Amino acid sequence: MKAVSDTEEKERSESSPATALVWVMNLWAYSLLFVWTLLSLLLFPVAFVLGKLILRWSTERLVRWFIWVYGRVWLFYMSPFVRFERQDMDLLERDKPYLLVVNHFSFFDTFCMALLPLYNIAFAVRSWPFKMVWYRSFMRMARYLDVESGSWGETLASSKETFAHGGSVLFFPEGHRSRDGHLQRFHSGGFQVAIAAGVPVVPLCIDGTNRLLPAGRMLMHPCRIRLKALPAIDTSNFSETDGHIRLRKQVKEQMVKTLTAMRAGES
Amino acid sequence: MTEAEVIELIDSSLAEEFELDRADMAPEANLYEDLGLDSLDTVDMVIVLEGAFNFKIREEEAIRAIRTLDDIHRFVLDKIEQNS
Repeated sequence: MKAVSDTEEKERSESSPATALVWVMNLWAYSLLFVWTLLSLLLFPVAFVLGKLILRWSTERLVRWFIWVYGRVWLFYMSPFVRFERQDMDLLERDKPYLLVVNHFSFFDTFCMALLPLYNIAFAVRSWPFKMVWYRSFMRMARYLDVESGSWGETLASSKETFAHGGSVLFFPEGHRSRDGHLQRFHSGGFQVAIAAGVPVVPLCIDGTNRLLPAGRMLMHPCRIRLKALPAIDTSNFSETDGHIRLRKQVKEQMVKTLTAMRAGES
Repeated sequence: MTEAEVIELIDSSLAEEFELDRADMAPEANLYEDLGLDSLDTVDMVIVLEGAFNFKIREEEAIRAIRTLDDIHRFVLDKIEQNS
């Protein structure tokens, strides 16, 4: 009796090119991630000094721009294996403050935010990204928000300051990566910030990063990633008690519909 | 408000905020293990309770010790008694 059937043998030989592609992709992507991160750390001091002297930007604005460029280069060297698409980015005006909310599938969702035409963004994240030594200093200089260990007052004050200088704040309302491709329960924090600060909410739908690198996995896979902006929502219409719950539900409903349509279009 | 009314307001506010099933909200239910809340929800919980009862609690150490629904009930009832 054969240990492996003919069907299994055929399937295995047919999957070899795909498997080889995955390994080539991961060798390429992780090597360049390491090299590019190291190079960025070396280039940053020079870029920072030049930026301060020539552009005269604030530290946080300069560092956010640098992070955006870091992400743009990541998009470039991933492009042999990943097709990136942006939709409806013309809905976003430069230098207008927004509270951006985006669904969350993968570690690389933050890298994909380099697809946005905006660079002046403070990310609101949990505490664990601040533990990554090579990124921590940049996150602090860019005034990213630690919404897990920081207080509500600090989150709101820091967000308002970002908005006052034309920047935007980005929240992942699910709080952690979805493991099944569906939207999880939304936390209210970002929506409360938007209402308290009087800035519009812009939902962003990202699809494909769950195929690039799912939560809990190490191997990346070739895929197509799309980032779509939805129309801004005026938060002045949500000022009643518990208005943040109504806003949160409306945004989630819109994002579920949009993601369903994006995937239906793909299939 | 009676104690029962306070507890009902707490439970209904938390159920609305965190999309909880009232059937799961027994007093001994652990917020994290039984009701599925996490550390990010603690901030939202504080804001919900402040809005429902019109008091400030966000800087209080006692919040960090809250683990069950009954802990929240006791905390809020104590707070109301202090304020009155």
